[in-house]
Amino acid sequence: MAFRADYIAKETGQNLVRNPSLGIATVLTVAVSLTLLGAAMLVRVGVAGLNDRFRDDVEFIIWVDPDVAPEHLALIEDTLSASASISDSRYVTREEVFAEFQQYYKETPTVLELVKPDEVPTYFEVVPIEPDLAVVQALGAEYRQLPGVFKVQYAAEYIKKLNDFTRLASRVMMIAAVFSAGASTMLMYNTIRTAMFARRREIEVMRLVGATSWFIRLPFMLEGMIQGAIGAGFSVVAVLLLNRGISKQLNQNDLKLLASFDLSQSDLLAISGWLVLSGAVIGFLSSGIAVTRYLDA
Amino acid sequence: MIKLEDVTKEYPGQTIALRNADADIGKGEFVFLIGPSGSGKSTFLRLLNKQEAPDSGRIFVAGKDIGKMSKRDVPKLRRNIGAVFQDYKLLQNKTVNENVSFALEVIGRPRHVISTQVPAILELVGLADMAHKYPHQLSGGEQQRVSIARAFVNRPLILLADEPTGNLDPQTAIGIMRLLDRINKTGTTVLMATHDRGIVDQMRRRVIELADGHIVRDQSRGVYV
Repeated sequence: MAFRADYIAKETGQNLVRNPSLGIATVLTVAVSLTLLGAAMLVRVGVAGLNDRFRDDVEFIIWVDPDVAPEHLALIEDTLSASASISDSRYVTREEVFAEFQQYYKETPTVLELVKPDEVPTYFEVVPIEPDLAVVQALGAEYRQLPGVFKVQYAAEYIKKLNDFTRLASRVMMIAAVFSAGASTMLMYNTIRTAMFARRREIEVMRLVGATSWFIRLPFMLEGMIQGAIGAGFSVVAVLLLNRGISKQLNQNDLKLLASFDLSQSDLLAISGWLVLSGAVIGFLSSGIAVTRYLDA
Repeated sequence: MIKLEDVTKEYPGQTIALRNADADIGKGEFVFLIGPSGSGKSTFLRLLNKQEAPDSGRIFVAGKDIGKMSKRDVPKLRRNIGAVFQDYKLLQNKTVNENVSFALEVIGRPRHVISTQVPAILELVGLADMAHKYPHQLSGGEQQRVSIARAFVNRPLILLADEPTGNLDPQTAIGIMRLLDRINKTGTTVLMATHDRGIVDQMRRRVIELADGHIVRDQSRGVYV
């Protein structure tokens, strides 16, 4: 069947302006839900970047008791060099540690006075072969059992904590986004139903003179799609502003650690694309369901 | 053109609207459906363009069993069946011209077809000079003419008219009947449900009388009785 594009465009346009308050409500709900989704996506991409960034920096530190017996120190050293899981390890001597200590506390001489060179603990810097944090932690736990080991500290431990937190935040936002998307779907469904109710006489005539279901349906589905896409457009603006705010904060506070949260143009483009697509699909489908149910009733 | 075989239609919780109805209406006939309110006249008409489906029996339109027709084919059926109602069913926000054009637009007719067919049909129904008026600026008779123009603009094989003169004074009703008669003379089969004794008696066409869903009389050149 031939669709008259000009007719469909005219009808869709009229539908959009026919009920502005409901239309605006729909657009705003879509915008809010997709902004949440977009924020969750920002966090996810940021976390993924964070993991990549610290994947190469997974060394851990084995602190040795200050009064360690020489044979225990030798045992630790031998175990490390014999291990197939370790790519490199280095023993940092008491003199080196003390030098570092002096450097670190040079502003506070009182602290320096309290500590004598033979009281500072020494440590091994260990670089494992397998960069996965869980594997590294398992490895570290093994060394913790060795006599003379005071503590095992992971460079990546605080990354993991941050990671856990951001993951949780992203999950919470995703859940909120899903609920919010549900709300916008329902609202859009109702908008289209209201629009159809307002035009029930026209639809009745259309059916009587032999318009196909698709001909009746399409303007309403396009209306939903456009509302969804406009809502998504607002959410893209909100997400871009959010990202700009984050980057500004990161730069101002010199938070190099979180630099991966400053998303690249291509990441932002991809997120924007997904948001617009989601908005359009939500709009198209929810109005499609509303129209089908109305026409089948 | 139209054939009903043992058709029964019941609305849930109501009396039976049509009971074991049989009828055979040929091409180009003019048939009055008469009977009191609730006797099944409107149901009879609504079954023909699949606004309703029968509970049992078969209905043939132009040789096709419309019960076996898929949902997708219903619009095609309706393009061959014009429908006119007592309340005109005009779109108040559209002009006369737009109301009639609408029927062609929504079935995807190209613009040049619409721009030639619509003025021609408005000429036929005598509303050529009212093309740009809105329904509320017209009399009842004029609105019914617009409704007939819309139903006939696509040159359907069948025209269903459900009490088309029900809201009109006798003089205006005669004008509408003349118009339906002209349309019938072009070869279109006309089925008209009516209460109007004067019109039936004057026109002397085939009469199918319904009572409580039964066809109680089918008489050619009949009167109201």
